[in-house]
Amino acid sequence: MSETSFPINDLLRRKFQTTLVVISLALSVGSALFLLLSAEKIGFGISLSVESRLTVGISGIFSQFVLFLAVLIISAGVVMVSFMVSLMMSQRTKDIGLIKAAGCPSELAFGYFFTELLIVVFLGCLLGTLLGFLADFSSSVSSNVLSLQVGPFGLNWLTALIVFVLFLVIGMIVGTKSIIDASKTAPINLLSPEYRFGVAKETGFKTLSKRSTTFAVALRSLVRRKSATVKIVLAMSIVFTLVTVGIAGGLIASRTTQSWIEKALPKNTVLIAHEEMCTRYSILLKAFYEGGSPTDFNYTDSKYVVPQELIEQMTTRYGVANVEKRIITEADVREVQGYVPQEGSQDVSTVGDHRNGRSLLIGIDPEKTQGHWYIDGRQLVAGQNAEILVGDTLSRNLFSVPLAQRLEVFDSDFDVVGVCIDPINNGNVAYIHYDVLQAASGIFGPNLVLLKIDMSTNGTTAVQQIDAIVKAVNPNFTVLDLGEFLSGSLGFLSYAWSTTMVLPLFSLVAASLCLVGYMALAMEEQRHEYGVMRATGARSSTILRIVSDQGLLVLLSSYGVGVALGIIITLLVLIHDPVITACTVFEIATWQAMALGITLISSLYPAIRFARKPLFEILRQN
Amino acid sequence: MSSVQTVVEASALCKNYGTLELKVEVLKHVHFKVHESELVAIGGPSGSGKTTLLNMVGGIDKPTSGKILVFGEDLASKVEDFLANFRCNNIGFVFQSYNLVSTLTVAENIAFPMEWLRKPEDCIRDRVKQLLESIGLQKRSEYFPFQLSGGEQQRVAFARALANDPPLLLIDEPTGNLDKKSSDRLVQILKSLSENGKTIIVATHDDRISDEADQRLWLEDGKVLRRNE
Repeated sequence: MSETSFPINDLLRRKFQTTLVVISLALSVGSALFLLLSAEKIGFGISLSVESRLTVGISGIFSQFVLFLAVLIISAGVVMVSFMVSLMMSQRTKDIGLIKAAGCPSELAFGYFFTELLIVVFLGCLLGTLLGFLADFSSSVSSNVLSLQVGPFGLNWLTALIVFVLFLVIGMIVGTKSIIDASKTAPINLLSPEYRFGVAKETGFKTLSKRSTTFAVALRSLVRRKSATVKIVLAMSIVFTLVTVGIAGGLIASRTTQSWIEKALPKNTVLIAHEEMCTRYSILLKAFYEGGSPTDFNYTDSKYVVPQELIEQMTTRYGVANVEKRIITEADVREVQGYVPQEGSQDVSTVGDHRNGRSLLIGIDPEKTQGHWYIDGRQLVAGQNAEILVGDTLSRNLFSVPLAQRLEVFDSDFDVVGVCIDPINNGNVAYIHYDVLQAASGIFGPNLVLLKIDMSTNGTTAVQQIDAIVKAVNPNFTVLDLGEFLSGSLGFLSYAWSTTMVLPLFSLVAASLCLVGYMALAMEEQRHEYGVMRATGARSSTILRIVSDQGLLVLLSSYGVGVALGIIITLLVLIHDPVITACTVFEIATWQAMALGITLISSLYPAIRFARKPLFEILRQN
Repeated sequence: MSSVQTVVEASALCKNYGTLELKVEVLKHVHFKVHESELVAIGGPSGSGKTTLLNMVGGIDKPTSGKILVFGEDLASKVEDFLANFRCNNIGFVFQSYNLVSTLTVAENIAFPMEWLRKPEDCIRDRVKQLLESIGLQKRSEYFPFQLSGGEQQRVAFARALANDPPLLLIDEPTGNLDKKSSDRLVQILKSLSENGKTIIVATHDDRISDEADQRLWLEDGKVLRRNE
């Protein structure tokens, strides 16, 4: 018997088991490749859609999020593949023992089973790669139908090759280790279930309670097969971490970034300015969700100054809750180096450089401003004129340690007291005291006035009345409702996040498929046990309940670990100062419950298939 | 004189395996009856269909044609759940390879048929203790099957078959792996169980069992060739 004919014949004669292992491996590899390709495309899709849009801080969260998911996808794939291979090899340990007991030298036994392993892992990885491409193609077609912004379908050979080689190597390493261990072990041990399953002994015989027989049998079976149980719980934990980061992280990040925008663009606010200034302001706000670079604009033109008469009329008008004067202009800015104390000593070190840039500058009165930005640091304080609040894009582009540095504007240095998230001009903005900017820029008065409309009045009518007053004072001035820009910004953020959220859905489907593969292998391993139970009086439904209880125990254990890890990663690593409302918690809980339900139901398929099989066939296969 | 109940009645029982091209006829029109408290020995060469016949009496396999009534129930027409319940209450099976569950201890292997009937915990515990004493394995109750000898495993399989105190015992080649002394002891146990009201059908090559049997069937080439009562 040649070294190749035995393994091939052996695999062909064990068609069911071979097919099962190859399909399980293919599902793991395929789902990992598909998720990776999707992550790449979604990342690509987002980068295309956010090109010259969003602030640096918000797009940073997107890219960090997709990157983290990609890392988790690879980890989950690696663990699933190594788990499948080790489960497969633990089932072959008895055969290695038998062949050795029949007098086959260890080296020859190693050769036989190594060849089998190579064939199975190679086929699994190859089919998985094809499956991954197929799933990627199908998802591209469905994304187009659903009008989701993802990158175009293309055969990404490099990613596929990396995934194929990575999983082939990992599968071979894990499998070869099992064969080497088995080759070195005495046949008598290999034939013992103690060695094969790592059967663990519990203390004392416990009869099972009347009500929870199936649960107790399931628990006992899992505890006894400690080694396999630990591996699947580990694998599923990573999958659930991925799902949790995807779902919870996605939802929290979405809500958090939306709340940042809501703070920067308060509701029920209108703007009074010259028509040209209104157009300019619209362009600056739309840059967040429509992109584009604003052209030059002369903010200092005196025609843009809002008439004092108009401001006075608005201040006393019923239905106007707040009137805020602002000056808006553009200027060259320069980074000023700062000093930070060195850790463990009293020395200080210099941070920053002398980077230059051009930024939008807005003068505000800190006590009257309607902007309540999300700020890292603090808001401007009245009377502290040498302070500046910078947008996150300006901060990232110009500073190393912004809160320890200063910004030079109009030949004066300002202490950076906070970094804020503001969609205007995509975050390339700085806020300073109104009086300071007025003095430095030479603009005579406010070129913007923000009005907060009292929510108890009829908003549309109030805006129409204000517009009429404005036109009566100066027909070149107009009213701009900022609600449109708030909706536009939130809509764009929501759209971008919903694209990202497709990934956890895919990962959930992939996890379910992997779990079906595991359950099929586990059923195959415990087939005889269940067959004997049925022969001694257990109903098919009882076996189904035992298997579903086992699945539930594995799922709940890994679910607990995965959800905890996912939440920790989301809150401690991905999103700082998250906004979590009762609605978000409910939404996350619903998604997670769905994830648990879907995986549990799909895991039952092999058990249902087994329960329908005639008992005689089950016992005969032993 | 009280009438003796018929426990098993097979008529024109046929069983074929394989495909149309490669058909194997394992049983060919087998007829037999087994009455209450009888010890029946089914003999015959290997491959004659002894195990297949036991499987059909136990409702594990179904005939291709013909009828088999066990305690008046036509098992061929019953669904799997009925058969499971029927086996649990009426039939104890001792398989040739014992079929103990490798991940369960000796005590748990004996207990689980009782667990399917949802018997009270105390009742299960007492019954397991009683059966362990009767097979002399009280000190090995926490052992796993792979830690027992072949003879000990067979005793556990017997204890499991008796756990629910079924009226019918089906035993496949019980002395195949035993020495003479153990075989003699087993024959006495079977005789004693039969005298105490159990109906026992044994597939065996062992003449000592056949000699003690109330009825002997000789299967060859799927047919009952001889019958001694």
